[in-house]
Amino acid sequence: MSTVTTHEAFVHPALFYRTEQEYTRQTVSFLREGLANGEPMAVAVPGPNLELIKSGLGVDAEGILFLDMTEAGRNPGRIIPKVLRGFADAHPQGRVRIIGEPIWAGRSAVEYPACAQHEALINAAFEGRAVTILCPYDEVRLDPHVIADAKVTHPTVISGEGRESVSDAYDWQAVVDRYNQALAPTPDAAAFSYGGEDLPAVRQFALAQAMRLGLAGEQLMDVELAVAELTTNSVVHGGGRGTLTVWAEQGQLVCEVRDAGRLTDPLAGRRPPERGQLGGRGLMLVHYVADLVRVHTGDDGTTVRFYLSL
Amino acid sequence: MDAPHAVGGAGAVAPGKVALEVSPLPGGRSGIRARGEISALTRPSWEQALTELARRHAGVSYVELADVVFVDVAGVSALAITAMNLPGGRVVVEHPPPQLPRVLEMFWPGLDRIEVVL
Repeated sequence: MSTVTTHEAFVHPALFYRTEQEYTRQTVSFLREGLANGEPMAVAVPGPNLELIKSGLGVDAEGILFLDMTEAGRNPGRIIPKVLRGFADAHPQGRVRIIGEPIWAGRSAVEYPACAQHEALINAAFEGRAVTILCPYDEVRLDPHVIADAKVTHPTVISGEGRESVSDAYDWQAVVDRYNQALAPTPDAAAFSYGGEDLPAVRQFALAQAMRLGLAGEQLMDVELAVAELTTNSVVHGGGRGTLTVWAEQGQLVCEVRDAGRLTDPLAGRRPPERGQLGGRGLMLVHYVADLVRVHTGDDGTTVRFYLSL
Repeated sequence: MDAPHAVGGAGAVAPGKVALEVSPLPGGRSGIRARGEISALTRPSWEQALTELARRHAGVSYVELADVVFVDVAGVSALAITAMNLPGGRVVVEHPPPQLPRVLEMFWPGLDRIEVVL
């Protein structure tokens, strides 16, 4: 497998594999190429696939950063700031090479739209940067529509045999738009409508509901921090008021903030600010603490839901 | 706080009954003591207090937060950036609410300008 690179171009191929042998052969070949070029490298894939790559590389695995994507990238919304830019920004000299596998069989239907949007937004986040990110997809176990979406979110695709081709379907903005799906109100959920004076009260409400639904410990603090960011956003930028609802589903606590604002920057919350920059961390905090964040935005307002495992 | 929502005219943040009181530390120590919450509702008084802290800073400054019930990301950011911009020395933060070490660790891991005393 050979990945064509120009000096400053972002390279973002999808790898469609069918067997463990194909997976190991193509990922190891990709990493050995980076090794030959002296590029800093990171691998963020689900645990069992980490093992395939490590054993395929043998002693060459030394010096590569390995992360279990089911933990580091549990919430797909934090993969760009924390995993990908975290690594790329720490190695500003020359090209960096990363394998990122954010979508695996077992990602739920609630998670998938956020996963597809994440894959699309990688193209915007790294445009013009000397970074190569290979994204493996399990062609056997993933739904055909997931494979079809991967051809829209990746400019090039590589087959299990290592044949690389340009993806004619590439159009990442289309995937961001397609998965900007309306989030229907949840009946019978505890709700609190707030204005500027109510910011402390809405935090207290969120805490009380989260405790009632079984959340404990550090996660309670995370709920309070995340709710504070989203509700303050409503008050300052989202029309001055909003509604928070809290409920539990499928073993997760869900907090939803609805307001009249409109999210105009698709990379909001995914662009790490400079260390000395005062603002720009609110939505990123929500992505960091949550297991999943879903967003719908349009002319009628914005809905943000975040999920925490109970 | 970032500004991902764009809508005509910023809403009003009304302080209501929420307050942040900041006073100089009693005794010989240089620094401040705060009471209340550090959030969008009290942002101006917190940032003003930090500006004053930086102006008087010499060596070690203390920030006593035992009576602060909540601090948001922007409040921790203001403290972190104040400490980073000091010409030298450090800031000792005493008994902060739990959000403070959590947010510091998230966005400024290894920031040795700030010492947190729980």
